[in-house]
Amino acid sequence: MTRATEAIFLPMLFLTVTLLGGLRVADRVTLVPPPLFALVLGLLLFGVLVRGRVIAPGYLMNASRSALENLNGLIVTLTTFFASTQIFNLVIPEFGLPFLLGNVFLFVLLLNTLAGSPDRISVLRSLGVIVGAAFILKFVVLAALADPAAGALKRVLLALLDGVTLGTLSQAPLHPATGYAAFATLLLFLVGIAMLPHSRPSAALVKLDE
Amino acid sequence: MGDRSVRGLGLVLAICYATFIVWLYITQPQTIAEVTGGLSSGVGAYRIDQQAFDDGLALFRQEQYAASRAAFERADPARRDARTQFYIAYSYYRSGWGRFYSDDEHFRLGLESVERAIALAPNGRLVVEDSGNYIHNADELRAELAAGLRSEPADLNPLRVFRQRK
Repeated sequence: MTRATEAIFLPMLFLTVTLLGGLRVADRVTLVPPPLFALVLGLLLFGVLVRGRVIAPGYLMNASRSALENLNGLIVTLTTFFASTQIFNLVIPEFGLPFLLGNVFLFVLLLNTLAGSPDRISVLRSLGVIVGAAFILKFVVLAALADPAAGALKRVLLALLDGVTLGTLSQAPLHPATGYAAFATLLLFLVGIAMLPHSRPSAALVKLDE
Repeated sequence: MGDRSVRGLGLVLAICYATFIVWLYITQPQTIAEVTGGLSSGVGAYRIDQQAFDDGLALFRQEQYAASRAAFERADPARRDARTQFYIAYSYYRSGWGRFYSDDEHFRLGLESVERAIALAPNGRLVVEDSGNYIHNADELRAELAAGLRSEPADLNPLRVFRQRK
């Protein structure tokens, strides 16, 4: 990894993800800070990234580096954590039953991944699937259910569904710009994660006696 | 560019960008004008368009409240000037006030503006000395707007029709 990537590109990229992660466009533009549980999920994801050797904090900060290099490493580490948190803020539904189920599902999934011993490629693939699926659920499925421009039949069916689920399923309608911005943010995040300095599994050369 | 320069530049950029993001999340600006206005007022460089403000004031005194609001909005696009926000709130109060009932939407927008004006004023105290106004204090204006939005038994008092608009 070049010094410019470590000192400039990665922090800028992750800070941009941090900024856009809370962006919501409706009748007005709002920046939503992450809920407390997103911090927990962000921490778990950071743990998964370290355990899966996607990020190597030991490479970014160690005694052999200068103070300035260590500061750059600290910035990369912190911005990775903040971006991880904001990604969950972005893809988890806003309230109701989907919010609760999304949080529980992601919590269990991340704990399960953390308990295993995944390698770097597996973690990257798994992360793509997790955030991609959550994105589709929130910005395609639930957004379609909340679409105010739907036809009369669809509105009746949704009203019935709302009645059955006691109104816990429906979400606030989203402006299409939110979905496009969210998609770009997810791509940025995945690119940034793939660019992080990573460590290889340790190996030893052993000479077998003849 | 040397190693230290690149790393130092990266550090400064990251800190500035992170500070900017925190500021955006706290202030929640809605337009680019609000972003630039907020940043320039942060360094004391923000100025309202005095000509537009004077136009707004003249229209306000002629009781053309919708037109005056347009001029005041043009004078303070970033919504960073307490006095202009006070006049916007006052114009909402005047145009929303009615002898029989008040227009809730105007009063709600007025309340938002006067809250903004109070937040912008030093120590939250804003007094606008203008002989043409009945209300000079932002706190008084806020109380009038909040009272107009409340529903209470006194609303049914028929003597309310004799009250004066401030």
